[in-house]
Amino acid sequence: MFEVRKLEIERDGKTLKYDFKLKTGHVLAIQGLSGVGKSTLLSAVAGFVNSISGQILWEGQTLNGLSIDKRPVSYLFQQNNLFEHLSVMTNMTLGFGERPVNSDLLDQITDAAHELQVSDQLQKMPGALSGGQRQRIAIIRTMLRPEPLVLLDEPFAELDPQTRLLATGWVRKVAKKYKKTVLMVTHQSEDVEQVADSVLMLKQS
Amino acid sequence: MQLIVRFSGWLALLGVSLVTLLSFYGLIGFSDQGPDWQLFSDSYFYSILSFSIQQAFLSALFSVLLAWPVARAIYYQPNLPGVKAFLSLCLLCFVMPTLVLITGLVALLGGNGLVTPAFELLLGEGWDIYGLGGILLAHTYLNMPFAIRIFYQQLNAIPDSSWQLASQLKLTPWQRFRIVEWSSLSGQALTLFGFIFVLCFNSFAIVLALGGGPQSTTLEVAIYQALKYDFNIPEALMLAWAQLLIAGGFFMLVSRLGKANWLSVDTASRLWTPNAKGYRGRMMQLTYLVAWVCLVLPMVALLVGVTDTDQSLKLAELLVPTVTSLGLGLFSATLGVVMAWVMLNPARELNRRGATRQQLVVEWIASHGLVAPAMVVSVGLFIFLLQHIDIDRWGMPVVALLNTFVVIPFAIQKLKPRLLQFDAQYYDLCRSLKVSGFALWKIQWPFVRPVFLTTFALLFVLAIGDVAIFSIFGNQSWQTLPWLIYGYAGSYRIAEASIASLLLLGICSLILWGFEKAQMEQKNV
Repeated sequence: MFEVRKLEIERDGKTLKYDFKLKTGHVLAIQGLSGVGKSTLLSAVAGFVNSISGQILWEGQTLNGLSIDKRPVSYLFQQNNLFEHLSVMTNMTLGFGERPVNSDLLDQITDAAHELQVSDQLQKMPGALSGGQRQRIAIIRTMLRPEPLVLLDEPFAELDPQTRLLATGWVRKVAKKYKKTVLMVTHQSEDVEQVADSVLMLKQS
Repeated sequence: MQLIVRFSGWLALLGVSLVTLLSFYGLIGFSDQGPDWQLFSDSYFYSILSFSIQQAFLSALFSVLLAWPVARAIYYQPNLPGVKAFLSLCLLCFVMPTLVLITGLVALLGGNGLVTPAFELLLGEGWDIYGLGGILLAHTYLNMPFAIRIFYQQLNAIPDSSWQLASQLKLTPWQRFRIVEWSSLSGQALTLFGFIFVLCFNSFAIVLALGGGPQSTTLEVAIYQALKYDFNIPEALMLAWAQLLIAGGFFMLVSRLGKANWLSVDTASRLWTPNAKGYRGRMMQLTYLVAWVCLVLPMVALLVGVTDTDQSLKLAELLVPTVTSLGLGLFSATLGVVMAWVMLNPARELNRRGATRQQLVVEWIASHGLVAPAMVVSVGLFIFLLQHIDIDRWGMPVVALLNTFVVIPFAIQKLKPRLLQFDAQYYDLCRSLKVSGFALWKIQWPFVRPVFLTTFALLFVLAIGDVAIFSIFGNQSWQTLPWLIYGYAGSYRIAEASIASLLLLGICSLILWGFEKAQMEQKNV
């Protein structure tokens, strides 16, 4: 179970309040007007933003006070998910711990890249990719990382309708296969229908 | 108006090229024999060459290697006390007149130096500041602070998003270093190494004062000795060619391999960056403290040197050299900034047209004074002018002009990024608004003013500290402060040298502090 209990965050002079629960292995779509605090919530769960009160709990254990690298979280930022000076393949293999990349992981990456139609891009540098291709690369890495809690900040924003359909289907499939608990910020109702089990609508407090 | 600006740019480029061309013409034309190529088969030449390269290589290596941990300490520990003052001190150390540093180091580590007993305890009785050890110490002291500033600015330029991504991907400290920090700094480190190598390779006053004998002589000092003591022009000419080719070639090589922002002022704002804690944090605090102590000690030694004597120096003796130095500095800084700005106009125009190669050539011509050593140019021009003017009468104007020639490359390096940034951001907008001439200048000036002010201060301080050019063209009736210090130090009047050094250091600090303050006030308006 993932739970956000009476969480309060100070942001630009406003106090943002959150309180909800999500079953393990479920996908939650987070929606709301711009500036309502959707991305701030993800940042707080990942540990980049401190709360003034309340708790974030994962399987009964509080995440508050845990450093970023100790949290069971895999996070897709809205932008800047790739190191521009490293190849796409090297970027793909980051975030899987210190062990050398094994053949299973390479197979998983290659299969996913093939499925999301970016297998031709793996040996290139990120600068040579389009916005949509970069986004799919980052989605693959975020979803395949071993962390059980996945945070996706507008993951499909850069994609055209056809690729979007492909990517939403793949994200849901992987989330269910590996029992990932997913918090996904999106403005699109199609994404909600394709991927989410439930919706959290945030309002101005 | 546009035509005048363009024309003056090319004219200025021609002017600086002429200085070098005339100096080489002077060297080549003086003797029918040309350079003394027989020196190539002389072991004397190879021992000088090998020592020049060895000391420059080690100085650059130590400066870069020691600067890295200090820059990391102030970056990863942003709450350390006095970081801003420390960075100002670093700038002061880099531009500090070499004679001031030499006096400080001798007072600290010379025969009766403050900490010489500790050094002898550590390194044995064989410690001697005169020789390779002293040269390396002085070069590292001057250049390490410069490298600290560059590394610190480069670390600050790493975007927050890279650190956030690294944290999110749970990269190990080693991975963070390799993927984020090393990637950002390695290119810079190489260029920095090359830049410091060239500065040390061309270093004159330090080697002259601390070399301590023929076994520790560099090409630059050998040229001086060949001219001043032996009046052996063919030998000086051959050494000058060797100096120019090696320094120029090496600098071009590293310029192609690496990329430098030099002393660029812009640093990214830091909202989320890692902060070292625990043992690592404490080690960084200790590194920072040690760096402070090392940089301040030679200055403290000057103070002790002053109080440790019963001899008195008449302040009137310092008045004329001080006024002369200030006048020279003011002239060179003003002309240097104007020349650099004017010479950058053709480069900017070529950059806007996408003519990168031509732009590089223009920039190289504008800043070639960096690799054409002051001694080589001075000697060549001296020989050329000897046949045309009365050097005793016109020596000081030539000193002022050559000082300007020597500091121009620093102005080019500092102004270029800001002017190119203006073009990238606003040139198209200015064109679409049909703004040109004085109206364009009025828009441009507030954007570049802070960099112009710091460049002016930097050039002022660099020009004040000259010894090399004055040693060729100067005369006793127009003595400068650094030359006075050299005279005192040469006759072992360390107390007098300390007083004059403190005065020079005080002037340099005041100039840098004043301009930094003015810049801050403008930013806050």
